[in-house]
Amino acid sequence: MSQLRRALAISCKDIESYYGKPPLITWGLMFPAVLILSLYVKDPATYLAIAPGIIAMTLLFGNTSMAAIVITFEKRAGTFQRLLLAPLAMRTIILGKAASAAVYGLATALALWLGLKLVLGMPLVSPLLFVAGLILGAGCFSLLGLLAAVMVREVFEAMTLMNFFRFPILFISGVFMPLSQLPAWIKPLAFLSPLTYVVELLHLGVTGRSEFATPIVPLLAIFLFLLASWLLAELLFRRRAYA
Amino acid sequence: MITWPGKEVSPSPGFPGVRRMESTLTIEVSGLSKNYGALEALSEVSFSVRRGEIFAYLGPNGAGKTTTIRILSGLLKRDAGEVNICGADVASDPVFVKERLGVVPDESNLYPELTCRRNLEYMGELYGLPRARRCLRAAELLSFFALTDRAATPFGALSKGLKRRLTIAAALVHDPEVVFLDEPTSGLDVPSARTLRELIRTINRQGATVFLTTHNLQEAEALSQRVLILIKGRVAALGTPGEIRQRVQHLKLLDVTFSAGIEADKLLKVCPAVIRALPQNGAWRLEVAEAQAALEQLVAFAGGEGVRISEINTITASLEDAFMSLVKDGGAQPEVTS
Repeated sequence: MSQLRRALAISCKDIESYYGKPPLITWGLMFPAVLILSLYVKDPATYLAIAPGIIAMTLLFGNTSMAAIVITFEKRAGTFQRLLLAPLAMRTIILGKAASAAVYGLATALALWLGLKLVLGMPLVSPLLFVAGLILGAGCFSLLGLLAAVMVREVFEAMTLMNFFRFPILFISGVFMPLSQLPAWIKPLAFLSPLTYVVELLHLGVTGRSEFATPIVPLLAIFLFLLASWLLAELLFRRRAYA
Repeated sequence: MITWPGKEVSPSPGFPGVRRMESTLTIEVSGLSKNYGALEALSEVSFSVRRGEIFAYLGPNGAGKTTTIRILSGLLKRDAGEVNICGADVASDPVFVKERLGVVPDESNLYPELTCRRNLEYMGELYGLPRARRCLRAAELLSFFALTDRAATPFGALSKGLKRRLTIAAALVHDPEVVFLDEPTSGLDVPSARTLRELIRTINRQGATVFLTTHNLQEAEALSQRVLILIKGRVAALGTPGEIRQRVQHLKLLDVTFSAGIEADKLLKVCPAVIRALPQNGAWRLEVAEAQAALEQLVAFAGGEGVRISEINTITASLEDAFMSLVKDGGAQPEVTS
């Protein structure tokens, strides 16, 4: 319990220091909002086919970037050492850092949806699945950001490392094109991407439609990705956090 | 006298700082070794630190001081040896040990965007202090370190000296049994350094064991009860400053001031009785084989160079002289006196 409270303290401090800043909030909101509005202006009848994917993409880029930036920034400034010197279990540090990034992603995604609801009347057929997709996706992507950050020293190194992963999966995860329309040889790769399942959960939440027969498949898959990311993060932090 | 916040002053001025009576040793290190590839950073280092003492850990750059502190504070794994701090091994029980340690790194590394008060309160949160306790503690420490009027100032906006003070304050938030101070006065001006030294004495007087690393040998001599000199990863000497000075009592030292600049190489060539010449605060610290012969040769040298000898003093070897002697010998003759 004591360690959980300390993880909460790390998260609150990070939100206060980094995530609550107006430029970050506007960046996280403005970019996807403008993108979705452009799609709406082009064709109001079809924008919903892509909007959930763009929210998922925002979650992916926002969470991985912020989690990685915060860690690499603190490593350079020496403040990350304060956490290592404190009586904190490694999983407390990981939880604290990942949770703050996840809260940021979740808050911006919900604010984005609210804005689109007010302006475009964007529907929400299944709020539970929508929020579950956001929470699981935000957790998974934040952990992936931490993984990249602990392997390198500089922010640009973390970004380069993550871009090798983030950009390719954008095109195979059903963000811009439904899974059923992807070329046959890409489809197996799509199922290896955590973004695929977040996109599908958000589609289910917003429109009630999905490429999967049941929501249990994407829910279980993204949960397994989250678990795997956590275990990998623990392993790598134990090995490399002190480097 | 500065009052240490939140604690009772020890009733025994002779041996202050007794907190736990289970053991008189706070830190016990035995056979500590660490290699970085082929580089041997620490080799069979053994020492112990008594409860309530100020222990200075000295050595030239690259001697292994920081490696030792990183191992003791749980930031680095050792290759061999045993480390026991407050009754536990930091490798096997890091949370227990870290709860009892306060570490002041060589660089002041608090959060620049947070205010002084928020930095201290956040440290209190990380060490599990309840809200009321950490708020009170932050206020006490700000007052103790004369930072109350800067409570709302971001850490990043403080001067170097004030940053150092707050970094030390942050290490004391949880009232640690042992405080590691890595170069606490490095880069500070004279008044700030003096104030900090007084604060370190006060912290120690009120109970904390202080493990101090510093390049300032006068500071180590003035503050510490015992000193360890580490050279090339090995213990070269361990004892009280007086005991270590005893090692170089055979040295004959002269401080000589010339009326104008001279060249050390020429001096050593002309004066065979002078073994070593080191510039020191506008004068020259000379290690000589035989004082009378050296004096005669120096007078002749000054005449030849067209300079006057403005001042000449015989010197008792200091801890710095002992340190230099050990560095010159490469720590080849380890001597542990206590």
